[in-house]
Amino acid sequence: MVENKLVLATPEELKQRNKLAGTIAVPKQVNIAPITGHPEEHVKNRRVCISRPAKNSMQSGTNNLDYWRIEFDNRERWENPLMGWVSTGDPLSNMEVEFNSKEEAIAHCEKNGYKWFIEQEEQAKPSRVKNYGSNFSWNKRTRVSTK
Amino acid sequence: MIRAPLTKALSLGSSTSPIHKIAAAAFRTTAVTAQIPAKAPEKIEVFVDDIPVHVEPGTTILQAAAVAGVEIPRFCYHERLAVAGNCRMCLVEIEKSPKLAAACAMPVMKGWRIKTNSEKTRQAREGVMEFLLMNHPLDCPICDQGGECDLQDQAMAFGSDRSRFTDINHSGKRAVEDKDIGPLVKTIMTRCIHCTRCIRFASEIAGVDDLGTTGRGNDMQIGTYVEKLFLSEMSGNVIDLCPVGALTNKPFSFAARPWETRKISSIDVLDAVGSNIIVSTRTNEVLRILPRENEEINEEWLADKSRFACDGLKRQRLVAPMVRIKGELTPVEWEGALIEVGQKVRAANGAVAGVAGSLADVESMVALKDLLNRVGSEAVCTEQSFPSEGSGADLRSNYLFNRNIQSLETADVALLIGTNPRYEAPLINTRLRKAYVHNELEVASIGPKIDLSYRHNNLGDDSNLITQICNGTHPFAAKLKEAKNPAIIVGSDLLARPDGAGILANLQNFAKGFKSTSALNVLQRNASQAGALDIGYQAGVEEAIKSKPKVLFLLNADEAKVTRDQLPKDCYIVYVGHHGDEGAQIADAVLPGVAYTEKTATYVNTEGRAQQTLAAVSPPGLARDDWKIFRAISEIVGAPLPYDSLEEIRDRLDDIAPHLIRHGHLEANSFQTVAPQLSAAPSISSGKVSVQQLSLKDYFMTDPISRASPTMAKCIQAAKKEGEKKAASASC
Repeated sequence: MVENKLVLATPEELKQRNKLAGTIAVPKQVNIAPITGHPEEHVKNRRVCISRPAKNSMQSGTNNLDYWRIEFDNRERWENPLMGWVSTGDPLSNMEVEFNSKEEAIAHCEKNGYKWFIEQEEQAKPSRVKNYGSNFSWNKRTRVSTK
Repeated sequence: MIRAPLTKALSLGSSTSPIHKIAAAAFRTTAVTAQIPAKAPEKIEVFVDDIPVHVEPGTTILQAAAVAGVEIPRFCYHERLAVAGNCRMCLVEIEKSPKLAAACAMPVMKGWRIKTNSEKTRQAREGVMEFLLMNHPLDCPICDQGGECDLQDQAMAFGSDRSRFTDINHSGKRAVEDKDIGPLVKTIMTRCIHCTRCIRFASEIAGVDDLGTTGRGNDMQIGTYVEKLFLSEMSGNVIDLCPVGALTNKPFSFAARPWETRKISSIDVLDAVGSNIIVSTRTNEVLRILPRENEEINEEWLADKSRFACDGLKRQRLVAPMVRIKGELTPVEWEGALIEVGQKVRAANGAVAGVAGSLADVESMVALKDLLNRVGSEAVCTEQSFPSEGSGADLRSNYLFNRNIQSLETADVALLIGTNPRYEAPLINTRLRKAYVHNELEVASIGPKIDLSYRHNNLGDDSNLITQICNGTHPFAAKLKEAKNPAIIVGSDLLARPDGAGILANLQNFAKGFKSTSALNVLQRNASQAGALDIGYQAGVEEAIKSKPKVLFLLNADEAKVTRDQLPKDCYIVYVGHHGDEGAQIADAVLPGVAYTEKTATYVNTEGRAQQTLAAVSPPGLARDDWKIFRAISEIVGAPLPYDSLEEIRDRLDDIAPHLIRHGHLEANSFQTVAPQLSAAPSISSGKVSVQQLSLKDYFMTDPISRASPTMAKCIQAAKKEGEKKAASASC
């Protein structure tokens, strides 16, 4: 079936019609940096590190390590002569945002227009079956002589 | 028909009857099928707090609980050490078992229901805590471990809320004399809870059987028995391992609380291993350095130099640009210094050379090379030499540790040639030791007699031995050829010899016949070397000297490989670096750069893995990022470099070699098989194979940072004294 309107339309009208057809695509990645009120120097000049907190090698607990966080690069700090506390001129020095996953952290950085990098990829922990008896094995080097 | 098991029936009956003959045949066939390697043992199911987990047979309760995500409190158990089972903190209840079991030592059985949070378990923990605290001093307020103490945390979580300790006889708590075990580790032995982690670390990982226990029961003490220092290149790790404050960091004592410090992840650059570290800072000062877990590199250990040399970052620093005026280096403004240097470079008309030292990062080396290329010079070299004959540094596999560090654990035969990994790369040595203990690794070495902390066969120090190994006449060659996972580790200093190319070529030809392709490894000593060769630096300073430069840039070059008398008389030397050491002394202009804790920069370790340091503190005085200095000079020279920010220079790195910006990722090396075809003149001259770092006293000061460190000076003193004591006791 031929539509009369289509046939009779001028090229300009056709163009306009094509433009209006279909859905409007909203860009998926939105950069909200221009409207957040975040000073430009902190958005453009700084790098954001996406990482998981490292286990403190001084302790054996691992309870509060299972999240991702973003941190801004480190800037100058000095000792305040008044109390001996630490001062900094960096408004973002204590901003540490926590996320459940790496992807969420990346999405947040992209949305805010930060330059980000991921500090360390996840590594598989090699499993090693441990055995109390190996301390006393007579033909292996795992035998313990010092107690 | 036959009720009894087949074997039994066979041994009973006479083998004449036809039935038995059939049975015998059947038995033989089953025996044959049994020879087919058994498949991996089936995993067994256990329940930890009603969470089902499947684990390999032989796994301990504690490991099974970790798989289920349940953490059982512990003091003596440590993932990387042998099981001791003496603190009893990990007692857990097993359903239908009358007694509690020590989770760290008890292997799980099928179908066990383990309760880690039952009333009985909690009571047991409370009891253990009470006993531990009975003899533990109440000095948390003055204890350096306070705030990161396992005993503190676990007393809060699992201990009782009141004490039954009443000292009716006023005898006081148990007290133990402190021991002097060296300038790095401070001991307050009264705090010790006898977990024996330090003993197990010393004997298992460090391979120094110095620590042990004496006495029993209440009189038990940890110590060295006779008065001696615990001197090992890994001794600092016992500070981390100690769950209480009995062993603490001596240089860091009473300096700061852990919650006051800011922790920045970074990379260590004092050897070529590239250990991952955490830099603790406060008020723009590096207070201490701790290891960061990385299974592929340093596990969770750190060598002493990397850990304790950080006080060298505050001393001997170059804080202002300086120019030699009337024979004296005089501080000037940046502008003046840069214009002076720029004019000299212009006037040199292309006769410019650059030498990069051991602490230079990839970004600044790229900037230096780009600058020199722009003014028409190709003479950029590294201080450490490497043979350029044959394929030289063109193939990455020639100068890298091709077998990655982690896979050393699976090695079964290893040959060390002209290297002492114990001091050149302590963390590679601990991997070798791990393979020695757990994988029955057989080690032989060519070079002087050294103590590697594990037993090895010293073949001698004659260079001809290398030839003999390579042409297969030496008995050890057959062992290497038959090994499943052989490893040959060659020291970079050996290859710096005039016949280095011959040694490398011979070994490459020899390694062709091995069962694994990446058996030949070069162990670099400098953090900068692999990166420099990756971006096209020439190895060895000869090229720079030969070019007769009018201006010579020294980038962190402090090994004094270039001296004044090798250069033309009018040569203008510019030193860019952070410490006033050999390089700055001979310089005409000093431009202060920054140290590794102050910059965000890339380093490539001996495996070829690029990693980045993060700036933890800001640079002292007027010091600036090294690559920015070259960028500024290029502007004055009139050949501006096309990058202004870290991102832009990283893009340039990406253009040169993409692996340089894939931090933490290890690129596989190829062309191992091609290299021997390209090698030229495979001859090895006779002579002795030598090693630079023979004993512990040679380990502590190898670079400008550790040379400026007072702690390292104390270590050398202690090591020398201990050596003299040993010699004296041996003579009488």
